[in-house]
Amino acid sequence: MSTNGLSANGEQLSASAPGADAGKVIELREIDVFYGRVNALSKVSLEVRQGEIVALIGSNGAGKTTTLRTISGLISPRSGEVRLFGNSVRGLGAEHIARLGVGHAPEGRRLFSRMTVRENLDMGAYSRNDRTGIRTDLERVFTLFPRLRERASQLAGSLSGGEQQMVAIGRALMSAPKVLLLDEPSLGLAPILVDAIFEVIREINSKGTTILLIEQNALLALKTASRGYVLETGSVALSGPSAELIASPDIQRAYLGM
Amino acid sequence: MRELLVSLLRSEPAQGQRTKGTSVFWILSGTASGLLLMGWLLPWFVNAYSAGVGYSAQDVTVSPPTGVGTVLIYILAVTMVVLVVSPLAEVLVPRLRGRRFGRTADRIRLIAALAGLALTAVIWLLVSVIQEEPLFGSMGPGTFTDSAVWLTMYGYALAALVYGARPWVVGRQTLAFGVAVLPFGLFLPLMFHQAPDFLLWAAGSLAIYMLLALGLNVVVGFAGLLDLGYAAFFAIGAYACASFASPIHSIHLPLWVLIFVGAAIASTFGAILGAPTLRLRGDYLAIVTLGFGEIIPDLATNNVFNLTGGPNGISGIDQPKWGFLDFGASPRWYYWSLLLVSIAVVVLFRNIERSRVGRAWVALREDEVAAASTGINTTTTKLLAFAIGASVSGLAGAFYGSLVSIVSPDDFSFSVSIAVLSIIVLGGIGNIVGVILGSFILTFVIFWVLPNMNQWSTTLSQTVHVPALANIDFTSYTYIIYGIALILMMLLRPGGLLPSRARRIELESTVEGESLAAVQGVA
Repeated sequence: MSTNGLSANGEQLSASAPGADAGKVIELREIDVFYGRVNALSKVSLEVRQGEIVALIGSNGAGKTTTLRTISGLISPRSGEVRLFGNSVRGLGAEHIARLGVGHAPEGRRLFSRMTVRENLDMGAYSRNDRTGIRTDLERVFTLFPRLRERASQLAGSLSGGEQQMVAIGRALMSAPKVLLLDEPSLGLAPILVDAIFEVIREINSKGTTILLIEQNALLALKTASRGYVLETGSVALSGPSAELIASPDIQRAYLGM
Repeated sequence: MRELLVSLLRSEPAQGQRTKGTSVFWILSGTASGLLLMGWLLPWFVNAYSAGVGYSAQDVTVSPPTGVGTVLIYILAVTMVVLVVSPLAEVLVPRLRGRRFGRTADRIRLIAALAGLALTAVIWLLVSVIQEEPLFGSMGPGTFTDSAVWLTMYGYALAALVYGARPWVVGRQTLAFGVAVLPFGLFLPLMFHQAPDFLLWAAGSLAIYMLLALGLNVVVGFAGLLDLGYAAFFAIGAYACASFASPIHSIHLPLWVLIFVGAAIASTFGAILGAPTLRLRGDYLAIVTLGFGEIIPDLATNNVFNLTGGPNGISGIDQPKWGFLDFGASPRWYYWSLLLVSIAVVVLFRNIERSRVGRAWVALREDEVAAASTGINTTTTKLLAFAIGASVSGLAGAFYGSLVSIVSPDDFSFSVSIAVLSIIVLGGIGNIVGVILGSFILTFVIFWVLPNMNQWSTTLSQTVHVPALANIDFTSYTYIIYGIALILMMLLRPGGLLPSRARRIELESTVEGESLAAVQGVA
């Protein structure tokens, strides 16, 4: 049981990680991704360290979602290397990567809409066997999102957008991830809810879960994250600490509307 | 017209609160009414009835009953008004659907059912002890007097259960369904001990169709993969049985080994078909499985590797004989073993449905990407569905081969795949109880209604003096009748007679996503 209260999965992997890679939870080394003949990502390199919140910003079609899907194994890169917890994950399917401790709240939430909220959360813990750990994590999700406790037996498809986003994040948390990939958690939400969701994201991170975040709202994302990457048409245009990115005139003009 | 049909098919009012579990209640009460009606009509139609089940139907005469049996008829007439007409009224007349009416009426119905049961039993005992005259006066050999009495008594018992314990039936519908149907299944060969073997043979076919439907339900209903060539696995199981228990290769394995062999070979083929095709979805998968379903009987026709005996198939398949368990002498042993196997499969599948794998199938059906990112191995999970579905089909095939003792490529045509698919669509895709019900109804239509339609229309033409009716050959309209039944189902009850939970949700939720109230509640 790790300090964040979420029980750790795939402990043996991080334990066996070589010293040079220590602390690097996600590392992309010059990956190229193609959809058919369309080059979606070219030579993208990126790293996320233990305990960080890293924001991935960029305009529509820049390749943010593709990057996340590559990390979680839903797409395989044509060249380059994805390393998780210091080890290469070449050839591993999405289900194996999920078991390593990567929780992915995918774009558009993708809930199991005909299952109840509770069943959706249970599905998140699909690859776990520790009953007590699952129960404490369920309790934790309900503490983070008290609304989900009220709606536990309601069908996920009948929830409001904000509640669905809570279920999506909750379901990803139920796998006790060491790193959480969030794809546009604020999409389609009322401003007041966006703030609430980001509050929870910070809280999850403060308990030790590393977070890689995609966000349209670049200012909010950079304020939440410690570092950021800016993607433009499939490659990294800029990267650095959030404060520097916010201060950069290019970023201000293109993404912050200043 | 449509409203009338809808109200006939739907037990509850279309609008308003849906009460849980009422469908099983109404199915059982309808069955009770049906049995009582059958018991009541039987003495009159006893000749026509026996003509229907395998006797030559040269001259069908309808003669009114005489003898002590007439007393039975009068008891039945009185109790039937209470037990058959009053529930029908409750369904059809909206004003009578009140709760108060139901409770008192149920008590009256319970008393009527118990009284009818007791009186029928007493009269029957008296008659069989005294033995002075036959129950229904003089009738030819091979009639069903015992069966009529048994059916009637079963109808009463069922009515007593349904109306006496309505809350229990509604609350624990699966259990209630099992309790109500199982004794009938177990005692069927005894209840119809005067009947020709055809009836048990039809019942055996019902069990085989039911196994096929249960297996296909795993693939189509649970995992959501449309398989149009399911009969191929049935063929593989049957040919496996035929090869290993017949003179063709001089191998004679016992049936209980062969059902596992058939299941194993079929599930291997399921995995072989599944592995390269499971990337395909929806229509594409359906087309590939359709092709597979055509290839297997074709291979058999072409006598592939000299294994299958060509278009004539393989004949002389062993029928087991262990002491008094002589499968060849009476189909009742097949019937009982098939019943046992079916129960085992039903219990197994209910457990699988609720297991981790079952939940993974549901997740996969809902959203494959989301399922993969929760750690479900999509390929293995789908393959498992294919293999499990195919194995049950192979098992059923082994039984089929042994039961009919001859297999030929024609037995496994596309129409078999479609019949099985129709069963699960009719009963309710994804719902095991629904699939069982569907196989009962469709086998009843295939083995009873369709073969007898010509007979009935001839009788009708003589009665109403319309000679044209006698000339219609209904057997050639089998598929039209199928088609019309399926179209009506899709229009009136698209989820099947007993829709699965997921289907019900899908069909009932007209507005998906955010309701105004939910948004306001959040903001």
